[in-house]
Formats: sequence, structure tokens, C-alpha cells
Amino acid sequence: MTIQRMLAKAVSSLLLCVLFTLTALSQTKTITGKVTDDKAAPLQGATVTAKGTKAGVSTGADGSFSINVPESVTTLTISSIGYATQDVSIVGQTTVTISLVSSTQGLNEVVVIGYGTIRKKDATGSLVSVKAKDFNQGVITSPDQLLQGKVSGLEIVNNSGQPGSATTIKIRGNNSIRTANNPLYVVDGVALDGRTARPTLDLSKGGLGFGPTPESNPLLYINPNDIAQIDVLKDASATAIYGSRGANGIIVITTKKGTSGATKLEFGTSLGTFAGYMKNYELLSANEFRAQSKANNLVQDSGASVNALKEITQHTLTQNYNLAFSGGNDRGKFRASFLGSRTAGFLKKTGLDKYLGNFGGSYNFLDRHLSFDFGIIAGHTREHMSLVSNTTGAGGNVLSWALNWNPTRAFQEANGLWANNPAADFSIPNPMAGIDAFTDYADVDVVLANISATIKILDNLDYKFLYAINHGAGTRNTSIAGWLGGVEGVSGKGFGALSEAGLTSQTFTHTLNFHTDLTQALRFEAVAGYEYWKTDYYNQTLGATGFNTNQDQALQTSIPYYNFLQNASTQLPLVRTVDPRAEIQSYFARVNFNLSDKYYLTATMRADGSNKFGKNNKYGYFPSVGAKWAISNEDFMKGGGFFDNLGLRGSWGITGNQEFPSGASLEQFSSSAFNAAGQTNVANPDLKWEKTTTLNFGFDYSILKNKLYGSFDWYHKSTTNLLFQNSAIQPAPASIYFINLPADLINKGFEFSIGTTLVSKQDFTWDLAFNISYNKNKLTKFNQARIQTGKVSGNGVSGVLAEAIANNQPVDVFYLKKFSGFDQNGQQMVADTASYLGDPNPSVISGLSTTLKYRKLSLVLNLGGSFGNKVYNNTLNTVTNIYPFSKGQNVAKSVFGKGEALSSAAIASSRYLESGNFVKLRNATLNYAFGDVGKYVHSLNVFLSGTNLFVITKFKGFDPEVNIDTNNNSYPTRSMEYIPYPTPRIITLGLNLGL
Amino acid sequence: MRRYKYFQIITLTIGLASLTACTKLNQKLNSTLTSDEATNSFNAALFLQSAYIDVGNPWSDLGNIFALEEVTSDECLVPTRGGDWDDNGKWRALHQHSWTLDGVDIFLNMFNALNKIQFDATNVFSFKPDASQVAQARFIRALALYQLFDLYGQYPYREPGENLLNAPVVKRGDSAVQFIINELNAAIPDLPAAAADQKNVASKDAARVLLMRLYLNHGAFLDREHPTWPDADMQKVISIGDTLLNSPLYSYETNYFHNFDPNNSQAKEAIFSCANTSGVSTNNTGINNRWYATLHYNQYTPKNPAAGWNGFSTVASTYDMFQTNGTPTKRGPDDTLIDKRLGGRYYPGETNISGVRPGFLIGQQYNEKGQKEVDRKNPPNLLIFDPKISADLKETGNNLELTGIRVLKYPPDYTLGTKSCDAGGNWMVIFRISEVALMVAEAKMRAATPDVPGALQLVNDLRTARGAAPLPSITLVNPANVYDPLTLLAERGRELYWESVRRTDLIRFGVFLNAWEYKQASTAKYMLFPIPSQALASNPNLKQNDGY
Repeated sequence: MTIQRMLAKAVSSLLLCVLFTLTALSQTKTITGKVTDDKAAPLQGATVTAKGTKAGVSTGADGSFSINVPESVTTLTISSIGYATQDVSIVGQTTVTISLVSSTQGLNEVVVIGYGTIRKKDATGSLVSVKAKDFNQGVITSPDQLLQGKVSGLEIVNNSGQPGSATTIKIRGNNSIRTANNPLYVVDGVALDGRTARPTLDLSKGGLGFGPTPESNPLLYINPNDIAQIDVLKDASATAIYGSRGANGIIVITTKKGTSGATKLEFGTSLGTFAGYMKNYELLSANEFRAQSKANNLVQDSGASVNALKEITQHTLTQNYNLAFSGGNDRGKFRASFLGSRTAGFLKKTGLDKYLGNFGGSYNFLDRHLSFDFGIIAGHTREHMSLVSNTTGAGGNVLSWALNWNPTRAFQEANGLWANNPAADFSIPNPMAGIDAFTDYADVDVVLANISATIKILDNLDYKFLYAINHGAGTRNTSIAGWLGGVEGVSGKGFGALSEAGLTSQTFTHTLNFHTDLTQALRFEAVAGYEYWKTDYYNQTLGATGFNTNQDQALQTSIPYYNFLQNASTQLPLVRTVDPRAEIQSYFARVNFNLSDKYYLTATMRADGSNKFGKNNKYGYFPSVGAKWAISNEDFMKGGGFFDNLGLRGSWGITGNQEFPSGASLEQFSSSAFNAAGQTNVANPDLKWEKTTTLNFGFDYSILKNKLYGSFDWYHKSTTNLLFQNSAIQPAPASIYFINLPADLINKGFEFSIGTTLVSKQDFTWDLAFNISYNKNKLTKFNQARIQTGKVSGNGVSGVLAEAIANNQPVDVFYLKKFSGFDQNGQQMVADTASYLGDPNPSVISGLSTTLKYRKLSLVLNLGGSFGNKVYNNTLNTVTNIYPFSKGQNVAKSVFGKGEALSSAAIASSRYLESGNFVKLRNATLNYAFGDVGKYVHSLNVFLSGTNLFVITKFKGFDPEVNIDTNNNSYPTRSMEYIPYPTPRIITLGLNLGL
Repeated sequence: MRRYKYFQIITLTIGLASLTACTKLNQKLNSTLTSDEATNSFNAALFLQSAYIDVGNPWSDLGNIFALEEVTSDECLVPTRGGDWDDNGKWRALHQHSWTLDGVDIFLNMFNALNKIQFDATNVFSFKPDASQVAQARFIRALALYQLFDLYGQYPYREPGENLLNAPVVKRGDSAVQFIINELNAAIPDLPAAAADQKNVASKDAARVLLMRLYLNHGAFLDREHPTWPDADMQKVISIGDTLLNSPLYSYETNYFHNFDPNNSQAKEAIFSCANTSGVSTNNTGINNRWYATLHYNQYTPKNPAAGWNGFSTVASTYDMFQTNGTPTKRGPDDTLIDKRLGGRYYPGETNISGVRPGFLIGQQYNEKGQKEVDRKNPPNLLIFDPKISADLKETGNNLELTGIRVLKYPPDYTLGTKSCDAGGNWMVIFRISEVALMVAEAKMRAATPDVPGALQLVNDLRTARGAAPLPSITLVNPANVYDPLTLLAERGRELYWESVRRTDLIRFGVFLNAWEYKQASTAKYMLFPIPSQALASNPNLKQNDGY
């Protein structure tokens, strides 16, 4: 909606211009010209205005324009989103050609804020805008990956290497002591639900020992190629307009729109392949294994030499095809895009197939008094998942089997079948057999559609109505063949499941937009609106175990169990959950004052009524105020000052968080089985939203003729009325219930970003952008017994928890027994009681990107780093620890030579707490811009990109950037690592062109 | 332009109207009911069934009440075996009496689980129950309160309909015991009579056994360090017990393990059990934990070899209490053993499927083909369960998977053929008639005028039914040796081993703090478990037990 509004403004100014020219015909002249980008490609949609007047036109598809201006005008101003605004003299000229330089500092850029847009330089809040041209390249399955390392204070951690898996995103630290900590996503003005319709499946039910599979990414259905820009709103001035859902920050995604002019075609394709693990896991090689066995008098050499970690991976090609058409005329514009991609997973049999269509446009009627904007995304995905889950128990999973596989044992027997009898000759299931026996795929169909009507009531008053629907339906088919040997709950039985999920959320928004110049110098803008949002979700699983077929590897039928559930001897009951409907009804308003482009004031207010809140607190109120002083626009700074731009910002406000289960405020009764019913929760009618008060001070600067620019922000966030799962006062129907805890969760820190052009020659430019942020997280006034969370998984650690939520500690602080070395028997010495041993939240996150450009060749490097946190290496604790070696299993190389006995117990302790510091080369892209080729091909680009090329870290696992969900009783966890889907290195070759 | 005027007015009206649009924001729960809806749609029977279901898992799972009542006693322990069974040292702490506040997660889990039983049982009162349903709910609540008081020495109590946001009163001391006794006495008239095919229903007889336990332990509950056995209580135990012993519904099974096997729903000894259905996971108590937790990884079935967890064990002295000379070496139905409670015999439906012989698993173990089982090392050891356990309960030797005699009291459910059955059909037995006999015997010995011959007669009747030689004489306890075979304490061990009553017995017999196998003498604070910090913080009426 935001771009439409800009266009509407442009159109209305065009109208004004026409009127003006009509009345002053005799005094005008006509200037024609062409606007191009720095690669000489025509720039469509650039705004050309006569300086000192309000007259303006936009450029057509070929970049050309024609403008009538008063004779007195000597300068044209040309501006376009993503480019530095440029003035050009027209003295004595009727034709001009202007080449715009892409704007890296972006003060004239338009940023998208809630229910509107604003020029970056007019914004009082702390926000960062990332444009399409700055996005990360490579294999991108969901839009959040485009941003990794680009925005200060924004931490994005991939939860799993499975393509399409969810990410953990934190804006300015850990804001809550519950699991729901991700920011709110707003796509073209529509807030997303944050969940997906991929059915969830807990593979620890039905006698299985695997845990729940990692979550899927809610942004999977947004085509990364469709995104024009992503804005990250950080402080309360920017986020309070989203009220009770704004506390974790907002990520606003704006998709590309069509422009008037000839129909354009964009095409892009890429091919990707894996180039091994980003970081190797150091296990014993076959020969080292032989040597260690011999040294320990163990007979476990089976003669072969295999590398299980390599065997379980694949090199299937990732393919990505993207096609978009766009065009329009003065009555309307459209853009249609299509994406077909097959993203291979690094582990065998995994991957993500994605088919997305997007059609959007904007059409106007009644002499532009009425306009419609619409967008429809229809998508289908198929996700092939592996047997890698979150809190796998002692039986392990495909990855632990690969880590533990005896490297001297061949995977296949002489008859070609998988070695499959763990009890007889080795003691873990065969990872290759595990991959073969396991099938789990989910199909999800999604429609994201919105339509809005804007009515121009007065020249400066618009009314807009928006309706949006986000509907997803998913089915999931899971089968684990019973012939797979040595797996509790599977071997001799087999397991099959059919799961289904549905998610529907709808938004109705009415807004009024008003702007006026109160005086010559004082401009006033206001937005007021009403919004209603509701969401429904269900998930169900039907499982069965004890099948008659596929119990013998050599005699397999082609019918997977999920097509054949009735064949099983034990039917697991259908488990269906229908979430309570969540509804929010909101009233909101924002006013902006701009005095002489020097003093800015923004005030917002939102009232949210939510049916989640208790009956005594249905409504929450979220105010904010922000101010800015553009010092560089003061007269005393004008003309050759040190600062080209200097703006001082300050803001205060309150945002909320209501991400807790619907229905928590009510007494609920449920039918737990066909013959029983009971109360399931403790009612709390006083429940209300969690409240985050944010104070932010910052400044934006640019010096040396805009060659050095950036911003600095200091913030202090205090979250109170924490929505907290308190211990229920027994006797009670459940062990916990929700309260608003009067504790105070503090996040404070600062963010600094700097960008510069180091070299700017005709043929060679070198740009550098760097951001760093520091955050300290602490829970105070928490007068409760310590809550433990962070399940440690595996053999010998049942019921052990590694993290805690405790007073005067960071959220999820590591709380473990201290390890103090080995005794004379080679046994670990561990303290009797646990103590606080480190912060799982990084204190410093940083990103560096640099672009080197020589003529048409450019190289972009993106590095990211994170420092100051610890990671719990649960894999080393219970999978690759020394003990399994005496059972003929492979283990980490690092455990030998330290005086540890082979019989050493698997004890959870500080021994497995490792530094989470790292620096990663996330992405390197070499691009060659051929430009226009021949008559028809425009903007041909060819690129070679590498993702996750290397990591520098002391962490012993696959990737220090890891977050496996090991929550205990829904208390969240952080920086826990446990046999995650590993991170691969990916090489991509691609091209983009336009017709 | 006039047209635009109308247009503007209309749109402005619509816009303003929409700004004042409003929904009531009522919650739609979708898969759960509000209390009003529940009152209209659910009857008391459904709520009562919830309370019954709640009882199952806390008693079935060896990591629950069992861990607190048995692992802390002389007849059960869980050694750490190399990389397995460290579990934060909780199993060692339980057996060695070295646990700390919140150091064992089971303290909180059971506090919550037992109180949930209390809650669900009390909730029945609010849904128009009939007299029988009220009585059954009272029995189930009394069972939970008894167990809470036994473990923690106090219990919170809520009246039906109390505001759950308020801290409830806490009962302790004699009033706590009297309250449960009164509840049971009030319930008995309305409870259904016991029936051979309804062992899972709270009958008058079930309530009577719980009353007997309360009277027998009354004096110990009031002062665990210096237990007393007032004659009035003992006479109650004897008189209630006689009613039960004279009932034609109960008699000793010729096959001891039939009380626990997958077809035990109508076992003649059972007085109260939790029902399970073979292969049906709905409402299943998780009885399979009874066999998984003790069997070696390589035992179970040929098709499901990794099903055992190789944990819970017993000790040589417990085994020796049976005073047997032979060890089970034969696979066939013949045996040289005397006391059938030791097991070790061929068991149809078990031994022919997986080779296991229910009872004490000692020495070489065999598979269903009669072949010797091995452990998981390479080269493997023969799977010979060795009674000797490492002194510090940390197994690090070459035989670390083999130490400890295993106890397979509940024969695994292989009803579904060779595929293992996670949802076992064995009913979880809570009260049996032999416990009644032993309680009566004990009361006779503890009465103001002891009747030792009468007690010995009851004990020897039971022993005869078990194929064991009669005892020549009997005393209550030998404080110098808890395993002394000629004591009533030992007979209770031989009959009721691994039935979650041992800790209570040891306290009542005054020997809980003594040294025994793999445990030093311990201090008085271990008589009770600590009130978990989270429970204490949420209810100021709870008082932490001494020493924590």
C-alpha cells in the first residue's frame, strides 16, 4: 500500500503540475531527457521535478521524460528510490541525460513504516532499510536470509540447515522469557501470523525416541526476487503503531510493483551445488579408529574405510527459475512473477521444492479519485525432511548415527543390502539405512491475497480500506520402515503418520490519511485507522505402528505406510488440536510535524483489544513519541560545514507482546480421551499484555561530501508485566499457569553503523559498510524460584537441564555443574551443584560488507560475526563423547589424549560449554554486468556466488551459529547445539536479464 | 462535481462508521470448553474417569513414585553405566540418601502429579455426581493425599470450586492423617462393592486397604524418627484386614507372576489396579516402562533388540533373602527353585518369544532360541548379570553393562506377536490381598498383646502358596541387618518387592536411615523429601521440611 501512496502523491503532483502549466502556458518551456542508472540502464519511475516548484513527472520505461517548467526554473531535481537525489542545470538546454548514482547512504530513501511511508531523513525512529541490490545472494529460500549481517542489532540464526527451516530472529536482544520472541513480519501492509501450515509432528510420540522436527519458515512463500526492500523497525517510535505485537521489532517487506510504460520482462536463473561442510566435524578417520582400537585392546576393525558424514550428504543440483512481467499505463500498473525452484538439501533425500506465483497491481478510476491495489501470492511447496529432530533421545537420529558409525564398517553387505543388524556386529543403526527407511514430506499450499481501495475524499485526505487473507493448508506424510534395525519403536514394527494443518488469518484495515501545510514552514501529516485481525489454526496427526509390510529389507513393497495405515496392528489415536481463535481489534493514530525540515515530531497511539487478554484487561494502550533535530539544516551549519548531514533523534514509547496461548485467561475444560474430561488450565482473568518501554537516542551523520555516513543509536528497553508461566498453586489442573510477572527484563545497548566509499574512480570503486551492535540482557526483580530449561538430550542425561531463568542473570543463563578435569582413573570430576556459568546471548554482533567494482566486474563480500556468548555442545556431551568408542562407535577426535577413560560417564557439565564467538564469510559474489546485449536484452548480469565459505571459531561442532529448540515446559532456550542439520558450503552460478 | 460531493460524503460516512466498528472479542476456544459449556455438556462420569487415569502413570513409571519409594530403599538401585544412567547423579543420590533440594526432578514432578490427581478428583464434586461417584472421587483423592503425606509429610488441600489463584491450606501432622481416614470412612458406604471383573474400580475393599495402610503407618507418620504403633490402630488393621481376608473374592494365585502379566486384569489377588489395554495407547499408563527400564539393551525381542534401557537393578542381599541355593540355569519349565516369587522359570508367551524369564534376572541370559545373549562390546561379554555393583554406583569396568540383578516383575506384553507392544495390556496393580495378610500379621505382632503365632500362620500360609518353606519363627525386624530373612520386614520384601512400598516399610520398621548395601547410614532429614522450591514459592502455607 505504501508504494501506491507514493505513486498517488506523484500522480497528484502531476495533476497539480498540469493545472499549473495550463494557467501559465505562456511562461513555460519543455525539457526532455533520459534518466539512467550508473550502469547506463534506463531508469523507470524516477521523479523529475523543477526545483522551486511542485511540478514533477515520472520517467517512462525507457527512462525518458518530458516536463514543462516555468522559464524561471534553472534546475531539475531527479530522485528515485535507491538512488542519490541529483540536481541538474537546464540553463540553455532543452535535452538532458542524467545518470543517477545508487545511494548507499540513503537519506532521501523512502522507508516503510506502519501504515505509511516516510523519507528516511524525516524519520524520528530507529530504522534500517535494506534495498534489493544489497540483499545477500546465493541460495535463498526465505527472505530473512537476505538480511543476515546487514542490519545492526538484528540477529538471525538458522535453526537448521534444512532448506526452508525457521530462523531465530532477535532485534535488540532477548525480549521475553517465553518462546515467542520473533519480530512481527508485515508484508505489503499486512501483518503475518508467524506460524505456518506445515503440520507439526512430534516424533517422540507413539513409542518413538526422536524429538519434534524443527519448525518451518513462515516467510517461505514470499519470492525473494519480488522484494523491493525490507525495513527493520527497532525503536518504539517506529514500532508502537503495531501496539501489542510490536515489542520484538517489526520487519516490513515491500514487494516490487509495476510501473507505467512498456511491458518489461525480468528473468533470472541460478544453479547451485554443495561444496562440503562449512566446517568439518573432526571424528576419528578409519585409520585413526583402527589405531585407537588397537591401543585399547578392542576388536572393532571391520576392515573397510568409510566416511559416514560424507556418505549422508548429496550433491544434487539446486535450480531456481524466476520470471516477472510488469507494465502499465496511466490507468494502472501490474506485475506478475513466477518462481520455480528445487533447493536440494545437504543431507540425502532432503530438499525443498517451491512454486510461487505472484500477481499484483494498481488501477485507478474516477479521475484518480478511486484506486485499487491488489496482490495475490499463490504458492505450493514440498519439503522433504530428514530424520533430524530437536531433542532426540538416547536412540539418536540419522546424524548421530553418522557421527557414531564405525568408520571401518562398510555400509552395505556383500548382497548389496544395508548392514542392518546393530545387535549382532555393531551397536548403532546404519545411517544410510536410516535415510533409506525414512520418508517424510510435507505439501503446503498457500494463498496470500490482499486488496485495497483508496478514495480521495479531498486533495489532502484519503480513505483506504484493505482486506487481506493468508490461508495455508498442509499435509504431511511420514513413514519409517520396520526393517530398519536397532531403533526403538521402529524396528520390527514400522511407523506411519498422516498429518494435516490449516492456518487462516484475515485482516481488515480502514485508514484515513491527511496532510496539510499548517504554515509555510510547518507541515502536518496524520494517519488514523481501525484494524481487525483474526487467525485460526489447527493441526492433526493420525499415526499407526505395527505394520505387516516392509519388515524385511530384501522384500519391500512400494506402498509407503502413510498410504496404508489401516494395515497396522496398533492405531495411535488421532490427535487434533484446534487453537482458540485469536482476534485483535485496534484503533491507531499517528501525527507527524515537520518544521522547516529542521524539527520533527512524531507521536503515535494504538489501542489494541485482544481476546487473548483476560476479561479485566481486554484493551491495551501503546503510546510513543519521537523527535528529531536535523542540525545540518540549521542556518549556522549551512554552507561548507563539516557535516553534510547530522540529525539527532530521540524517542520513547511502549510496545506490547501478546504471544501467549489463546485461552490462557479462561478456565478451559477438555476431553482428554473418549471417556474422560477434565479442567486443563488455571484461569487468570487479570492477564494482560507484556509491556516493553523503550528509550532510544541516536544520530545519523554523513561527512566528507557524503562519502562517510552512518548512524549511532543507544537504547534501553525494559520489559515488565512479563507473561510468565508461573508454577500453579497446587492442587491445580496443570503444573503452570500464565501470570504477568512484575519482573523487569532489561535490554540495553548501542548500535553503530558506518559506510564509506574508499575509492571512487572512473573505472574502480570500493565501498565498505560495517555495523556493530552491543546488547546486554538481564532479568531483574524476578522474585521467584529459579526456572530451569534447556533440555540436555541423549544417553545418561535424562532430566538434565542446562539453562535457567533467574534473577540478575541474562535470560537462559547457563546453569551447570562445573567440570574440573579428570581423576587418576580417567573419570570426570564435576562439582556437586550447579552454578551460573555464562551467557547464551551474544553481546556483540557485527556485519561487514564490501563491494569492489572494476568496470563491469564487481565483487561483494559479506562477513558476519557474533561474540560474547557460550554454546552448549550437547553433541559432544552425549554423541561423540568418549564412551561410545568402547562399543565400537566413532567419536570426536578431540576426546582422546586428555587422560579420559573409555568408561567415562556422559555427564552434563561446564566441560561442554564452548565459546560461541565466530566470524563467517557468509557470502562472496562475483558479478559481471554485461549491461544491454543486442537490441532486446537489457541488464544482463552473470554471477558466481559462494555461501558460508568459511567460519573462524573455536566451537567444536558443525556451526556455532545454532539454536536447537530444547525448551522445557515451553520455557525458551538459546545456544543449545544438538546434532543439528549441518551447515553446508554452497556455490551458485546464476544470471539475470531483462527484456 | 456534484457527483463527487455525494461520493465524498458516502465514503466519509463509511470510513467513519468503520472506525467505530467493534467486535466483542469473546474467546472461541474451539477444542476446549469454557466452564459454562463444560457444566452443560460433560457429566461427572467423565471427570471421575480423568481422576482414575491420573493415577496410572505416577505408579507405573519407574522414574516416578517408584523411584522415590524403591530406589531410596535397600532393594533397588540404578548404577551409572559408563555413558548411560548418570542423569545428573539423581539415581545415586536417591539410593545413597544424598539428595538436595531440587537436585532430583522427580520431587517436583510427583508433587505436581499427585496434586493433579487431587484436583481432578475434587473437580468431580462440581459436576452433579451421584453418591457412588462422590465416594469414588473421595477414594482417589485420599490415595493421592496419602501418597503426598508419605513422601512430603504435608499436603495442600482445596475445597471444590476454590479460587485457584489463592494459596490453599496445608494439612500436616495428625489432622492430615485423620482427614484422610475420615474421608475414607465417609466414602465406604457409597463405594461399589468389589467385583472380580472390576478391579480398576475404587471399591469398598480398595478403600479398606488404604485405611489399613493409614492405621498401620499412623504412628510412624507422626514421628518418623521414633515410630509408634498404638494398639487402637493395630486393632483397626486387624479387624479391617480380617474382613478382606475372609472375602471369597480374593485368594493367592498359584502363579505369582500372573498377578502382573498381560492377562492380570482379573488376577485373584488384585484389589485395586489401573487398567491398560494391549495395543491401545489411549489412557495407557505407560506400563511398558516396567520392563524397558530394567532389561538389557540386547534383551526384549529379536525384532526390537534395542528396546531395553539397562537401568534399574537390585542387589545380592535382596536376592539372598529368599534363601535359595540354586540359580536359574535351565530354560525349560522344570526348575530347582523353591520360592516362586524369585521367578526365573520358563513363561509361556514370554520365554518362547524373547527368552526372558520373569522375576529376578541373574546370571547368563538367553534369547528365545536358547542361545546365550551378549552385551554390546566388541569383543562382547556374555550377558551374565553379576550381582556385584561398584561401591560408588559408578560402573566403569569391562562389565559395566552387566552388573546388577534385574527385576522383571511385570512380564512384557507380547500379545501383538513378536513386535513389541509399547502400550502394554498389563494392569498396574496398586493393592493386593497378600499385602493385606502381611499388614494383619504385622499388626498382630505390634498389638499391645502380640499374637506372634497368628502372624507366623498368616506368613506361612502365604509362603506355602508361593512354594516356599514355612519359616520356623519370625521377628519384626533385625536393626543390625535389614536383609535378615527371618523377619516380617524380609517377608514383606520377598512378597512386595518393587511394588513401591519399601521406603514406607523401612521407615515404619525404624531402619530407613541404617546402612545397607551401597548406602551409608543417613541422617533424619532423608525421612522426608524436600518441598520443591517452585511449590514452596507459590504457596506460603507450605513449610520446608527440616534440613533442606
